[in-house]
Amino acid sequence: MTLATPLPVPVPPADAEPVLSVRDLRISFPSEAGTVEAVRGVSFDLLPGRTLCIVGESGSGKSATAMGIMGLLPPTADLRGQVLLGGQGLIGLDDRALSKIRGNSIGMVFQDPLSALTPIFSVGRLLSDALRVHQDLTKRAAWEQAVELLDLVGIPDPRGRATAFPHEFSGGMRQRVVIAMAMANRPSVLVADEPTTALDVTVQAQILDVLRLAQQETGAGLVLITHDLGVVAGHADDVAVMYAGRIVEHAGVEELFHRPTMPYTARLLAVVPTVDGGTRRPLVPIGGEPPALVGLPDGCPFAPRCAVALDACRSDEPEPRHLTGHGHVACLRATEIVNGSLDPTGDAAPVGLPAPSGRAEAGEVVLRVEDLVKTFPLTKGALLKRRVGTLHAVNRVSFDLRAGETLGLVGESGSGKTTTLLEILRLRQPEGGRIEISGTDVGTIASSARVRELRQDVQLVMQDPLGALDPRMTVFHLLAEPLRAIGRDRESTRARVRELLTLVGLDDSVSDRFPAALSGGQRQRVGIARALATEPKLLALDEPLSALDVSVQAGVINLLARLKRELGLAYLVVAHDLAVVRYISDRIAVMYLGHIVETGDTEAIFSDPKHPYTRALLSAIPIPDPERERTRERVVLKGEQPNAARMPTGCVFVDRCPLYRLADEELRHRCRTQPPMPTSAAELPGHQYACHGV
Amino acid sequence: MCGEGVPRVVRYVTRKAVGWLLMIVVATNATYFLASWFLDPRSNFKELRPVRSESQIDRALAPYNLDPRVPLVHRWWDWLTSVSLHFDWGKSPTGVSVNGEVGYRALVSAELVVVATVLSVVIGVALGVYTAARQYGWADRVSQAVSIVVFNLPTSVAALAVVFVAIWLNQHAGLHFLYVAGENSPGVEGLLPMIGDRLLHLILPTLTLTLMGYVGYHLTQRSLLLDTLHADFVRTAQATGLTRSQAIRRHALRAALIPTAASVAFSVPAVFTGAVITETIFGWNGMGRYFIQTISKNDVHGAVATAAFAAALTAIGAILADIATVFLDPRVRVS
Repeated sequence: MTLATPLPVPVPPADAEPVLSVRDLRISFPSEAGTVEAVRGVSFDLLPGRTLCIVGESGSGKSATAMGIMGLLPPTADLRGQVLLGGQGLIGLDDRALSKIRGNSIGMVFQDPLSALTPIFSVGRLLSDALRVHQDLTKRAAWEQAVELLDLVGIPDPRGRATAFPHEFSGGMRQRVVIAMAMANRPSVLVADEPTTALDVTVQAQILDVLRLAQQETGAGLVLITHDLGVVAGHADDVAVMYAGRIVEHAGVEELFHRPTMPYTARLLAVVPTVDGGTRRPLVPIGGEPPALVGLPDGCPFAPRCAVALDACRSDEPEPRHLTGHGHVACLRATEIVNGSLDPTGDAAPVGLPAPSGRAEAGEVVLRVEDLVKTFPLTKGALLKRRVGTLHAVNRVSFDLRAGETLGLVGESGSGKTTTLLEILRLRQPEGGRIEISGTDVGTIASSARVRELRQDVQLVMQDPLGALDPRMTVFHLLAEPLRAIGRDRESTRARVRELLTLVGLDDSVSDRFPAALSGGQRQRVGIARALATEPKLLALDEPLSALDVSVQAGVINLLARLKRELGLAYLVVAHDLAVVRYISDRIAVMYLGHIVETGDTEAIFSDPKHPYTRALLSAIPIPDPERERTRERVVLKGEQPNAARMPTGCVFVDRCPLYRLADEELRHRCRTQPPMPTSAAELPGHQYACHGV
Repeated sequence: MCGEGVPRVVRYVTRKAVGWLLMIVVATNATYFLASWFLDPRSNFKELRPVRSESQIDRALAPYNLDPRVPLVHRWWDWLTSVSLHFDWGKSPTGVSVNGEVGYRALVSAELVVVATVLSVVIGVALGVYTAARQYGWADRVSQAVSIVVFNLPTSVAALAVVFVAIWLNQHAGLHFLYVAGENSPGVEGLLPMIGDRLLHLILPTLTLTLMGYVGYHLTQRSLLLDTLHADFVRTAQATGLTRSQAIRRHALRAALIPTAASVAFSVPAVFTGAVITETIFGWNGMGRYFIQTISKNDVHGAVATAAFAAALTAIGAILADIATVFLDPRVRVS
């Protein structure tokens, strides 16, 4: 289905009694380093039918707040303050009393749908159990209601699928089931903790629609916890911004985006990469990292990162104050900011992106991929494996990459982008096609010594810096290891490690620390430094920013841009976040089901996407601006990416294509039977797309 | 769903049972050849006075199909036909029927093992669940310390300790029902008094076996449950309105029980034939002691029958484990 209407804006009653009131909620956990004060005095009201978005970075206390409301914190947590649900206080109730409320008056949707459902029960059983906990229903009646709920949240063939187990569903479908469970007993409050973070962007739009439907269906107030300001812009009525365990700004969505008043909010909005608009605006990194919540110093916790902090900010923590026409803001200088006499972002100069003209146009070709093919056999049987099918992970993918250039591979999970990356890094003859690195065809390399030599030219930066760095090695050893592997002597290794640390903007003093003692941004810098150790020509980056907080991302984006300029590197970036890709890529290749469906210069693709899939993908990204987000036309793709084991004979996108649905019979026939060949856009030779219908 | 499930389970069990039967046949026959090569019944007669001649010994062994002058293949064939046609497992070198011995001792062992195994599993799993839900609480720390001490205690020490405590209790508290030796008291008449008497004799050895058995289940169940306890789906179950302990029982425990069910099923044969020390200390004539005796007395037929018995128990255990897994995890399709 293509939904080309603006988002419906619910008109909630403004004078109703709040369904949920939180007053001065405080949560702390004991830890080895001391007491972690995760939530430090949070207060808000939620009106029926309205949506309150809680935004913040990891560690800001937003999930702890949700768990505290639900009574799902671990027993070691210390919980104080007041949570009133329809007038009834929840704090201090024992587990038995709370269990009568959970699932009945409050429903919860969790972040990771892959692990949120008990694997050994069918989804119908899970749903009917959730109903029978609070309602006196026969098994049969509960099952019937479960089927109705599955139908409501958009599971096709609900009666048949009710007997299926969670592992037989995709992530998006599982999240629909979790939403169905949360709304089963018509709660008056729904709490959704990052409900779409683990999902693809096209599925995210569908799930948010289901969540909105669940809210309309039950009339519940929704607490939506997210780090994505685009989601906030599209779905919130009110926004609470959390930082270091407190709500630092609480305002209506229009007011907040129109005039962010707390300097943190303002800086956060300035640092979010966006996909809309004609030009990229430069990102202004906030600098520093969010504070640890153990033994917080006096004063405003944001003061060390704030551009407009006064001395008074460092001695006393400001209480939230009401500002007329805005909301509550915890900042000493809020009045100056709200009347426009002070710019909350300060005079921090935007760190400019390299001008497009500065791109090394005539760099040599570092990587050439021609008709790359990778398949995986599907087997069946315990003892004797029979081949029952073939999974076409990568299908005739071609591109080349020059020195000083960045190519972004984008697409939903399962589109084959990571497989492409891994095939290149394998440095062996691919299953089909050719891979050429610095002019050497990897299929022709005979000796393993030559492979090792070539490996110095190609290095990898991984997604999760904590998982990618050995926790038992210091930063020095982590960086020295690749140097020893290529036979550098002790003295030059030491010098090179120092050089690398300076290169990625780290202080010499981190070299004897372990990865666990570093912050997320520092770890990713170490990961990049390690990849640079052998002076590679090509850097493969697998989701290099997705594990980082928004306020830290910008710094790493700028670092990558600088390194490319200074060292003449070529980057091959795999990412699912198109906004981020826009900021680091010169060219983009959009992948769908193992095929490149469109490729071209970044700005050409963002300003004039040709392929219907690219358009849908771009349209699915929420824009952090409530006015535009709620009025723009959206293309919401129905369904999910099909299984790569059963390839369509014609165009791979045909099942979900909005153009196909509108096409005439002759074109439809071509779409179904002939795979489209890449054609160049008329005005730009580098811009190619594979579609019959455009 | 359930309607078609039952015949499918029957078919599945039948197929498995046939496979295991084949395995038992192969294992038993292999044991026969091994036992015949390594056990020499003639040596039983070497120390007898007056000294027997070779031919006298061989003649004495001949009626029991143990005559070393007959080729091994012939003896094997005779043994095999008598086992498969009459289910007669032969005789010991002194002429005692193996069937009678095994039949009696298996019953004795069953008395010991069944109660002790059930108790070990129930106590071990219950403790594991209770302590996992209270990880690092005082109950967890204390019970874990106790379990680790018991785990490192040799059976003989534990059994003797139980005996001493029982004697002390008998003496000081005036109790007289804690029997420290034997399966029954001589001279008890009538069915009900006999059963009662046997049960009283069972208390201490069962206690010892339970003590030695529960520890493993406690420690493994605790760590298995800890793995699933913090899973997201347990939190989801709580969010639908279950209390923490209900969510643990219904959602976490079931998945965590699967490995335990398999290990219980497979431990049954080991317990049956491995309770040697307990049997010896408490003077019970069970399968464990019989197994040792047959080997030390060069009783080829007895040793083979014990091996066959253990193989059969293993097969039963494996099939029970499969059934338990299918029952606990409905995702496993029987096919």
